[in-house]
Parts: sequence; structure tokens; C-alpha cells
Amino acid sequence: MTNAEKKKVIIVGAGDGGIILSHRIKKDFDVTLIDKSTMHYFQPWQLHIAFSGAKEKKIEKRKLIPRGAKFINKEVKKVDLANRKVVLDGEELSYDYLVVDTGSRGDYSKIPGHQELFNEFGDFHSNTEAAERLWSKVKSFSGGDAVIGISYPTYKCPPSPDEAAFLFEEYINKHKLKQKTKIMFITPFPRAYPAEQMNEIVEQTMKERNIEIFTFFDVESIDTKNRIINSIEGDKLHYDFAAIVPPHRGAGIVEGFSDDDGFVKTDKFKLNIGDYDDAYCMGDATNIPTSKSAVTAHLESKVIRDRLLGIDSRFNGRTHCPFEFGYRKATFVIGSYDDPVVKLKPSTFMYLMKMGMKYMAWQVIRNQMEWFLEPYFKMTDPKKLSKKNK
Amino acid sequence: MADENKKIIDARGSSCPGPIVELSKAYREAKVGDILEVWSTDPGIKADAQAWASKTKNQILEIKEENGVIKVTIKVLNR
Repeated sequence: MTNAEKKKVIIVGAGDGGIILSHRIKKDFDVTLIDKSTMHYFQPWQLHIAFSGAKEKKIEKRKLIPRGAKFINKEVKKVDLANRKVVLDGEELSYDYLVVDTGSRGDYSKIPGHQELFNEFGDFHSNTEAAERLWSKVKSFSGGDAVIGISYPTYKCPPSPDEAAFLFEEYINKHKLKQKTKIMFITPFPRAYPAEQMNEIVEQTMKERNIEIFTFFDVESIDTKNRIINSIEGDKLHYDFAAIVPPHRGAGIVEGFSDDDGFVKTDKFKLNIGDYDDAYCMGDATNIPTSKSAVTAHLESKVIRDRLLGIDSRFNGRTHCPFEFGYRKATFVIGSYDDPVVKLKPSTFMYLMKMGMKYMAWQVIRNQMEWFLEPYFKMTDPKKLSKKNK
Repeated sequence: MADENKKIIDARGSSCPGPIVELSKAYREAKVGDILEVWSTDPGIKADAQAWASKTKNQILEIKEENGVIKVTIKVLNR
């Protein structure tokens, strides 16, 4: 088929999911990706920029997108599902199929005082400069109250707040500041890690490392003058150091199908938007009840590819979130809609795998690692791992 | 009971991280006197909602199960 004969797919947002999807469908469809950014960042590395002074990992999106697919470096203002159009500044583009991959980002306006806190401390959920700002605070920390955790229940990378607490504890331990420091982990959830099975390991580790856990702590406001974080439940915590995961929002460009936080109301199995069988959403942009992570987008891209080809594939909510525990140990949070999370003890082997992902990141997005990932995801199916654990 | 202060939180099918997320978000917007009713298919909601109510000093009015859906009705006393 020539490009003129192929159906046209527009992918709004050239994120991890959108780019790998473009590779999966490039032979069968005329693909256009639209993104307001030209650079692609390996976001998991922000954790290491912030807690060990690592350098950012980035690449131009054009180097990841397949030859033959078009890339438009512009911002999409909204999508018109009824008329199958994508609206940019001064132009409209028609599509046969649409895939929304606009991601999620921090919203510092939601909690009073958060913008001021962010201006001073940065964080590891936005950009390189913010992560470097946080690293400078880590380096200059000389003891006191450290508050680390979650400000709002929707955010990307579920293990990341706990990872931050573990890496910070490792840092202060190595720099002999532990005696002078109180680490407080805050979360709006009933437990230190949302998934019960993994929480057993997380809570035990936090207790062993003297990280105090504050559950049901919904951040209401941040008083940056007196350095107090206030919760809706009436608790107040003083901080000398703060590493807070911000509330996250979606882009809100799909009118009529965005929830209060701007995420797209998406079918959790078929990944389509509303009743439209020609419009899909993937990655962080959806409102589906699974982790916001690149692994999710990766697995969703297979389902969307199949569905675009007329195959009734369904997403099963599979998660596989890498989770560092500090001291060169890590685990993965592996579950699905039907399977509870596997209780997998952290190991050095899994830590090496997590670190190794950094070096494979671009090949994964170019769909060059399927020879490894396909059998890997099968071998680590939560049903199989749960049986082994028994 | 005045229904105009009642908010239904439909968290059916949500299990990661679970219906407690939706309850937490709804509580953020709630006022004293509001009724929050959480609908969930996750059996963990019973224990989580009770722990939440105890911590936040709000009141569970009723927990019932209908056709596989657990409905937890909460009165906001503290906000």
C-alpha cells in the first residue's frame, strides 16, 4: 500500500507510548505524531539527578520517530472527536484514527504554597532544572526535619515517593547525618505503599530505617515562611528539607471526555475514548485505574496496534513498576486488574535490571527490544510469580 | 437526609491504587455536613474506609453490599 492508500493515524503527544506505537503501526498506516516539544527525556533518571547528582538523559524526538512517520512540532489545542479533527493554532488536521498520548504533568497551583516550595526545592517530577535544584538541597542538607512524599493521590510512577525516601535515607546515612535527621514520609493513602502486598515489604523497610510514616495525610497547604506542611486531616509537619511529588493533571484537550483533573475518560480494556472506536488514549493521559508509567504505555501500545488492525485485543491493567530501595536493591511492582501485586523481595539483580533500563531506553522506544521484552513480560506474569512465591 | 449534599463516588472497577483515591479527592472538596457515598467492587474498601473515617474523624453511616458492589456512606463531620 502506498501512503495515499493507508488510513491516517494522528498521535497527539510523542511520548514513550506514542513513539513506540508509531513503530508498531508504521507499515500499515500513514502516521503523524504531533508534540509541542522536540526533546525526549528519560524521566526515571530524574530520581537520580535529585538524589545522587546524575546527569540528565535526553534525545531529540526526531531520532526516535520512525522514518516515514511525520513529526509536527506544534501544540494541539483540542481534539474534535465528532468530526475527526485535531485543532492546532491556525490549522486543523483530519484523521481516520486518533491516539491521545499527552501525558501528565505537575500542577503547582492546586495546593496553596506549593509553587513557592517548588521554587525553592524543585522536585523530581518535572524537569532537569527542578531535579538539579533538589539535588543542591540534598547536598547542602546538614540535618533536621525531612518531609518526603505525596501531595495528592494522582501522580506518575507509584513507587517514586517511596524511592525518594529510601534514597534520601541512604544519602544521609552515608554522610553520617542520620542521628541529626528525622525523615517523615507522607501519603494520602492508608499505607506507605498503595498496593497491600508490596506495602508489607515497604513498611518493614521504612521501620528498619527509622522513616516515620504518616498515612491519610492529604496536603492542604504549605506555609513556606514557617516551613510547615498542613494536612486536611489537621496534622502539621515542620520541614527543613522537602521532596514532594506534586498533584498531576492531564492536558484536558479532549472536550467532553476529560475528568476534573484533565485526564481522558478511557475504556480500561479497549482503551478507546467514549463510544468512539476510532479514538484511543494511552499512557499517563488516561484515567484508567493502573499506574502512570512508561511500562503501561508500552503494553497499551500493543493493544492499540491490534485494535487498529481490527483485532479485539484487551488491556489487562498489567503493571511492572521498577522500585528502588536504596543500597543497590530494587524490586518490581507486578500486578494487573485481576491479579494482586506479587510480594517480590528487593534484590541486587533487579536493581541492576532497573539501572540497565537506562541504557536500553531508546532501543525500547524504537521497538528494538521486543525480542527480550515479550518473553520477559510472559515469564513475569503475576499469576506465574504468585505461584512461585507460595 | 438532604440528598443535595450527597456525592456519589463511583469507583467500581478501580483497584490500583483503589477507591480510597477517589474518596480522598472527594473529601478535599467536601464541606461539613456533606454525605459521600463510595461505590466499589474492591473488598478492601471496607477496611480502608473505616481506617480513613477513624483517622479523619468522619462518620461511617452505613456499609452495604448489593450485587457485588459495596456501598459505603460517610457523613463529613470534620473538614
